[in-house]
Amino acid sequence: MKEGFRQAMAWLHTWTGLIFGWILFAIFLTGTLSYFNDEISHWMQPEVPVRQVSSEASLTLAQRYLQQHAAGAGRWVISLPSARDPGLSVSWQMPGNEGRRGPREQRQLDPLSGEVLQVRDTRGGDFFYRFHYQLQMPHPWGRWLSTSAAMLMLVALITGIITHKKIFKDFFTFRPRKGQRSWLDGHNAVGVLVLPFHLMITYSSLVIFMYMVMPASILVAYQGDTDSFFSELFPASESPKAQGQPGQLLALAPFVERAREHWGGGQVNLVTVSHPGDVKATVNVMRSSADRVMYEFGNAVAFDGVSGAFLTADPARPTPIAIAGSFYGLHLGHFAGPTLRWLYFICGLAGTAMIGTGLVIWLGKRQLKHAKSGVMPFELRLVEVLNIASMAGLLIAVATFFCANRLLPVSLAERGEWEVNSFFIAWGLSLVHALVRRGRAAWVEQLALAAGLFCAVPLLDALGSEQSLRVLLAQGDWARLGFDLTCLGSGVFLAWAAFKMRRAGQLGGKAPARTARVISKVEVN
Amino acid sequence: MKSLPVSYRLAVTSRVLAALFGGYLLAALASICMSLWLPMARAEAVVSGMMTSFLVYLVAVLWCFASRSAWQAWFGLLLPGLVLAAFGGLGYGLGQS
Amino acid sequence: MLLPVLLSYSGFTALCLSMDRHHRDLLARTPTARVRRLLQLCGWALLGLSLAAAVLATGWSLGLVEWCAALMASAMLLVWLLPYRPRLVMRLAALGLLFSPLVALALG
Repeated sequence: MKEGFRQAMAWLHTWTGLIFGWILFAIFLTGTLSYFNDEISHWMQPEVPVRQVSSEASLTLAQRYLQQHAAGAGRWVISLPSARDPGLSVSWQMPGNEGRRGPREQRQLDPLSGEVLQVRDTRGGDFFYRFHYQLQMPHPWGRWLSTSAAMLMLVALITGIITHKKIFKDFFTFRPRKGQRSWLDGHNAVGVLVLPFHLMITYSSLVIFMYMVMPASILVAYQGDTDSFFSELFPASESPKAQGQPGQLLALAPFVERAREHWGGGQVNLVTVSHPGDVKATVNVMRSSADRVMYEFGNAVAFDGVSGAFLTADPARPTPIAIAGSFYGLHLGHFAGPTLRWLYFICGLAGTAMIGTGLVIWLGKRQLKHAKSGVMPFELRLVEVLNIASMAGLLIAVATFFCANRLLPVSLAERGEWEVNSFFIAWGLSLVHALVRRGRAAWVEQLALAAGLFCAVPLLDALGSEQSLRVLLAQGDWARLGFDLTCLGSGVFLAWAAFKMRRAGQLGGKAPARTARVISKVEVN
Repeated sequence: MKSLPVSYRLAVTSRVLAALFGGYLLAALASICMSLWLPMARAEAVVSGMMTSFLVYLVAVLWCFASRSAWQAWFGLLLPGLVLAAFGGLGYGLGQS
Repeated sequence: MLLPVLLSYSGFTALCLSMDRHHRDLLARTPTARVRRLLQLCGWALLGLSLAAAVLATGWSLGLVEWCAALMASAMLLVWLLPYRPRLVMRLAALGLLFSPLVALALG
């Protein structure tokens, strides 16, 4: 019975891994990129300079600009520069017709001079962030698909642990240059050694969308009144309504310090002002989510904008809600400083590699049986094409997205959308290429192309840049330089991978007999 | 690759359906029970129930494929499901009165 | 972050050495039962110290996260180096053990 159980779990691991592997690879890769979404966005908008200014100074500039250009607005939103996002942006909404809100306006300001910057239209790193849970599908189907994939990922992880008989004995085992055995060792290594991260990221992603996918308890406990559930969960402090009488708004900068006093420290990233010209103006100072592990929805301090009086502050959360918030916070990783953020990134890549190696192993095992005949049955060919397109093809698409940001003319209409289009066009073409070319050739060619594109990214940045390298170093624009270096490194790695693939293909003849014996031993584990 | 018998394919499909839908139902029932019976404020109990439900789903899925037959998979979900439904109904009834 | 990583890396190396197969690969001899137990004890102790270092520096919530990150990072480094540069593995562990008390003192 024991043998039966392990074998059943192995079967489940193999099939959940395959069917959702391609989607999960894409989710993991774009999710991993999202840990540097601010840095990616910054690279994709090189017009925004990196300035060393205090929150108060940039807030004062923002207030001056808004008072000159948006005095009649219903709400001002000011996003202050932070360590990861050097931009100062303001947005406002004018009251529209018939009491409805008017269109939203947004400007990027230079944090030093307060002048408006002309910044190219781009989705930036936000594209990867939203893609990894929406999958470019209409609302809410994308979220349902990604959450279902997450549930199956959990199943795959647990069945993988159950199936891995020698999980402790083989904890440190990695044997390179042994064909399929090495791939399996690698798969186990990135799986087991990074297990805390994989389990956390998978379970937290379920918690994030639990309100949507598991609403039964809300509906029963609140008898369908979801609104009261959410208002109990996130007690929102109601902003006082406009009184209709003009009032003089105080200087905003001191409110930041007062909020910090209330929290006993902390950083401020967002300041909103409701009804700025009114006597009942309210200033909300929002605490940066980078301050603690637990993610808090709207941890803000509210002040009366005209008298300066303290109004309300968001209360501490009860334990179960704090736990949910911690899952959220751990998943998003906003609290992570530079070192920890790089580790998040590396762990994310490990997860991506775990899925990728799994897909390669799935096919490799079954391909050996057909190696002599040279003809692959339809199902295996399908898996092969999907493997190549979803992995190498996706890498090509990511690199194309970055190249497009530098190549597309700045004045092009809907520029941001065209960058996204180029991502999907490149991905689609890679699928066609994988269909047309034979397996190994397709891998080598696509990996080589991805390598070339990634290496091209820093070149394009340097060629088109208004600022010289010396200026960037002087400004301390590590995000942009780090991005260029990482792309270069990725390009070099992919070139190495393409080279290894090609060599393995050339040495092809000797491998099958030996690996076939290894495979039969490796059948269940 | 020899073609697998139809009975095998039907059994697998049955287990998959049990895992997908039966598992979800069981998880939902568990979350309802927890939200009605946990000794804490209503919103907190609901959140706790939701967070825990995924573990129930996981165990249900593993059960559906570890059980000796597809029939056993369904029965193994049915029994706890009825118990949870009973507790849930009781909790809801008590809450109403 | 540095101290937890140094300690966990050394800890994992000790645990790795406590296994026959890896002990033979790294030190070209078979460990006795006593040596194995000693290495296991040291290994787990170092991992525990790594946890203490992380929590004392940044509190429980951030400390636990950093500890997990240190464990995963040092384990990945060790397993990657093991087949390619076994001697470097040992040297890094020795350096880690040497520098940890210094780093601990420097951080206060």
